[in-house]
Amino acid sequence: MKRRNLYIGVALAILSITACKPTLDEFTPSAGTKADFSKYIAIGNSLSAGFADGGLYLEGQKVAFPLLIAEQLQKVGGGEFKSPFFSEEQSNGSGYIRLKALVNGQPVTEQVADKLAYRSATPKLLTKYTDPINNLGVPGMRMDMAFAPGIGTAAGNMYFERLLPDGTPPTMNYFTYSTSQNHTFFTFSLGNNDVLGYATNGAVNEGPTTSLTSTALFNTLLNNYVTTLTAKGQKGVLATIPDVTSVPYFTTVTRQVLLAAVNAASTTKVTDIYIATKTGPRAATDQDFFVLPFSSAGLLGVPNANKIPYGLHPLNPVEDKYVLDTKEAIEVVARVNDFNKTIKSVAASKGLAVADVNAFLTSVKNGIRIDGLAVSAKYITGNGFSLDGIHLTPIGNALMANVFIEAINKTYGAQVPRLNISDFRGVKLP
Amino acid sequence: MMYMKKLLITLLCASPSLLFAQGSQVNLQSPKSVGMGGAGSAYFIDESSIFYSPGALSKMSHNAISVNGNGVMFKSAFQATGSSVVDHTRNQITPPFSVFATVGPKNTWWKAGIGIYTPYGGAVDWGTEWTGKYSLVSLSLRAIYIQPTVSFKLTDNFSIGGGFVYNVGSVDLQSAIPVYFQDGTSGLAELKGTGTGTGYNVGVHYNLNEEFAISMSYRSKVITKLKDGDAKFTVPEAAQGTFPPDSKFSAELPLPSTFAVGVTFPISEKVKMAVDGTVINYDIYKELNFDYSGANTPDTHSPKNYTKAGSIKAGIEYLPSEKLQLRIGGGYIATPVSKDYVYPETPDNNRILVAGGFTYKMSPKFDLTGSFAYQRVLPREANNVDSHLSGTYTTNIYAPGIGLTYKF
Repeated sequence: MKRRNLYIGVALAILSITACKPTLDEFTPSAGTKADFSKYIAIGNSLSAGFADGGLYLEGQKVAFPLLIAEQLQKVGGGEFKSPFFSEEQSNGSGYIRLKALVNGQPVTEQVADKLAYRSATPKLLTKYTDPINNLGVPGMRMDMAFAPGIGTAAGNMYFERLLPDGTPPTMNYFTYSTSQNHTFFTFSLGNNDVLGYATNGAVNEGPTTSLTSTALFNTLLNNYVTTLTAKGQKGVLATIPDVTSVPYFTTVTRQVLLAAVNAASTTKVTDIYIATKTGPRAATDQDFFVLPFSSAGLLGVPNANKIPYGLHPLNPVEDKYVLDTKEAIEVVARVNDFNKTIKSVAASKGLAVADVNAFLTSVKNGIRIDGLAVSAKYITGNGFSLDGIHLTPIGNALMANVFIEAINKTYGAQVPRLNISDFRGVKLP
Repeated sequence: MMYMKKLLITLLCASPSLLFAQGSQVNLQSPKSVGMGGAGSAYFIDESSIFYSPGALSKMSHNAISVNGNGVMFKSAFQATGSSVVDHTRNQITPPFSVFATVGPKNTWWKAGIGIYTPYGGAVDWGTEWTGKYSLVSLSLRAIYIQPTVSFKLTDNFSIGGGFVYNVGSVDLQSAIPVYFQDGTSGLAELKGTGTGTGYNVGVHYNLNEEFAISMSYRSKVITKLKDGDAKFTVPEAAQGTFPPDSKFSAELPLPSTFAVGVTFPISEKVKMAVDGTVINYDIYKELNFDYSGANTPDTHSPKNYTKAGSIKAGIEYLPSEKLQLRIGGGYIATPVSKDYVYPETPDNNRILVAGGFTYKMSPKFDLTGSFAYQRVLPREANNVDSHLSGTYTTNIYAPGIGLTYKF
């Protein structure tokens, strides 16, 4: 009898403790009192929109950093956050590139062309999404373009045109659109394309999307924008502009890589790659940045009509648009620094938080470790940047969202929980 | 095309941080001792002295065989710094066991015996979705020690003993690799291997008088070498150059030496007390290295930098009747794991321990012993210097145990 009681006792003890998990409560989410997150809007470009792998598509939209921020803000009472999602049937949106294979370590990409969201092929127009939204990010949007008329028309930017109801007057610009949403809180990250468009085109100005915005104009427009956004005392976060030379788009294809490839296929030793610059052709140095698309353009070494191989002789140099040369890089970096000074001083004058995206991406360039995961700016294997070498992977978006969250917590006395990076993926491999 | 341009992209993915459990001494060799909080090396003179106090074995008047089993539940929680998400380990029960048997003439100057026991081990399963999955998904580690032992009485009060230890260790470890399939899931490394090592266990036991005794023992380090373990990598095809699906690995796991002192004395006729202290020389565990057979697979080197650790334990036994013994005890265990080197496979910190137990003499030949130990690993915020997995860990360990002894 006694023994049976013991058995029962032991069995009960085992049962009762199976449910007994240790608990942790190290973080108390709190909105603080300095900012009102009930209606958060995100103003920005492709990064805000969730653009990745050279396109805007549903999976990218779902991990766009403003949406990730909003989901964390909701844990401290933040309001609903709507994004202009493509439908499941048109989930591939604008189309994007995916990795088809790695051949001898060289990536081979292909264009995803099914489930697209185009309603017109010429001009390219996307299926409209005109319900109220909070993620106002428009791929390609620039500071100067935000104030220009006509950008929301069929002849303008298809991503902006998509968001405007039929019958919107052509004078409706992005500034007016984005500042008339009755917001209580905002993130603002425009300005990248005011240098990036120019830089990615090898510092060749071929029109409004590849021009370099002047610092004076940037200052004026940013002041206008932020003054309007904070007219009712609203708070927000201004993002700095990343040093464009820190992204794989400019750091993957180097002189060394090109020479190694040329020499692997050549019997005579090649020692120089020749590039066209605004002051004439010259041999490339390690301080010249070749753009990522040059690696798949299939031009290097191809002889011209005079049998001179492309890029290997001063008489047939690599075209200017494929190279951000030393001088151009210095110009671009200086402009980025000027813009960032403006951004920080405007934020300080209005009492707004600054998400120092530039400082953060500079650290990623050298490689960081977080949550047991290594992330770097190395193309594909670094897992931070998507296949286009400029836009972020889901991991990159989560890291970016944490930079904003940290800024919000610091400036507005909030305790918004950060994202766990392990919940997100890097580059998909075949 | 005349020249092929090449981007030399090597899949030098972030090394999976693959780590062994350590800091995981499970002193559950005898449920009698467990019931006194792990104390009693000087007090109990029975077949389990083979482990606790080899010198005491020859003082055993009879012979016995005992079989003991435990169900250890290791429940950890983790909260990343700045995050509101709390990760929990899955329910898993590990069964440390021990078998002790003695042979030899009764009431003479020597005794021999053999012990088979599991002094280190543990199982932890965080799952493939948690924050630290790139550090560890799951680990099951077991070290089975086989120890033939002899003990001699030098005088009536003073005896010595020693045994040779042969260890068969096995490990089954999984961790996520940051390469991603088309559905967005990460790759997985699964390592399975067994290895062997050798060591020894020696001790002395001294009875000051009938009731007061002291025990000292030294259990040597056991370096367990794993060779040709199976490393299975589940990764996308494009990553298989770096992580060949069927690889081999080798590793070396040092299990530390322990110096233990125990004393026992009576409090009253029916209440006996025991106090034990140990010093565990974990400072031999500097790093854990995995070498893979794949030429392109990055070998991993994880700094551990363990320090010396120790414990102090005390317990009392109450004898309400001829047939029943009741025990209670507790202790404090200082961790060998420094704050900067906490890994999720043993998210260790200083522990407090409470325990209780009983022995019921079912017949002159059969004893039934039960025990229950609870260990609380104190919460600690740690930022691992290697992996930068940063957050707060806490762990509760529950260990019910039962043992059956046959005396002859």
